[in-house]
Amino acid sequence: MVYARTLGGKTYTFQVSGKLWRNSLIMQDRETGSSWSHVTGRAIDGKTKGAQLEKLEAVETTWELWYAAHPDTAVLEKSEEVLASHYQEYFDDPKRMGMFRAQWLTEKMSGKTLVYGVAIGPHAVAVTDSAVAGGNLVQVDLGGTPVVVSRAADGGVRAFIEGSDGQKLGSVAVTPVYWFAWSNFYPNTKVVE
Amino acid sequence: MRRLIVVVALIGLALTIPAKAQRPKPEVVATIGGDDIYQVLPVGAIPAIDDPSFVSGAAANAQMSPGEPVLGIVLHGEARAYSLWQLDAHEIVNDEIKGTAIAATW
Repeated sequence: MVYARTLGGKTYTFQVSGKLWRNSLIMQDRETGSSWSHVTGRAIDGKTKGAQLEKLEAVETTWELWYAAHPDTAVLEKSEEVLASHYQEYFDDPKRMGMFRAQWLTEKMSGKTLVYGVAIGPHAVAVTDSAVAGGNLVQVDLGGTPVVVSRAADGGVRAFIEGSDGQKLGSVAVTPVYWFAWSNFYPNTKVVE
Repeated sequence: MRRLIVVVALIGLALTIPAKAQRPKPEVVATIGGDDIYQVLPVGAIPAIDDPSFVSGAAANAQMSPGEPVLGIVLHGEARAYSLWQLDAHEIVNDEIKGTAIAATW
């Protein structure tokens, strides 16, 4: 996820708090020491409690697809070669989820299913990989707002609000996330499989 | 995000290394919205990147695997990619694109 880190004229810098909430990262800003959820961008504790960072449109994809679609891209410089994820075994093991039991993990699908989460306020949907396969457009109503979710040529899954004539009215951030985590944050989420 | 819980896996690794008696036990430091907050590592133990440097796609291509997962964003017409394998060790990049301060997180 990518967040705008300026809020109310104040720019925050974030560090890794070392804390987990709902099995996910809590970011801590250096300016006030407040705790922010990595999943929602909301300050859950501290001086800024209740503040909401804007989640920007960003995607997870492969280098190959990204570079082909964005040949002018800049890339974060590596100080040393990194040849794999430290966590591949974790990714590959369907039984390993969070360290702590998720409160609202449901039986709808395997907890390690990767979903694309979209939320407008409390209204949320989890869209699976297969739902957006083959360029398929997923249309869903989020609290009265029509939203379309699809995968683009660069491999990224994006969402936009659809106008009455099918036009794009604005983008909505997509959160690629394991089902067990998404269902913990949004227990009433819709699911499109 | 897939890595959401990667911290957890990291902790898992950390916990398996020392002898059982020496294992640090994650401590519940607060409860919010009915869910506990655990302190599993000291703050900053995983160092965020505060002063990121960038290279061109062509230069990066020599160091990247085709299937390497990246976090990508286009903002103000500028495209940036962050290798998720690299972000495993940092989790947060405090960055800026054309005057907009952003946090790229994994």
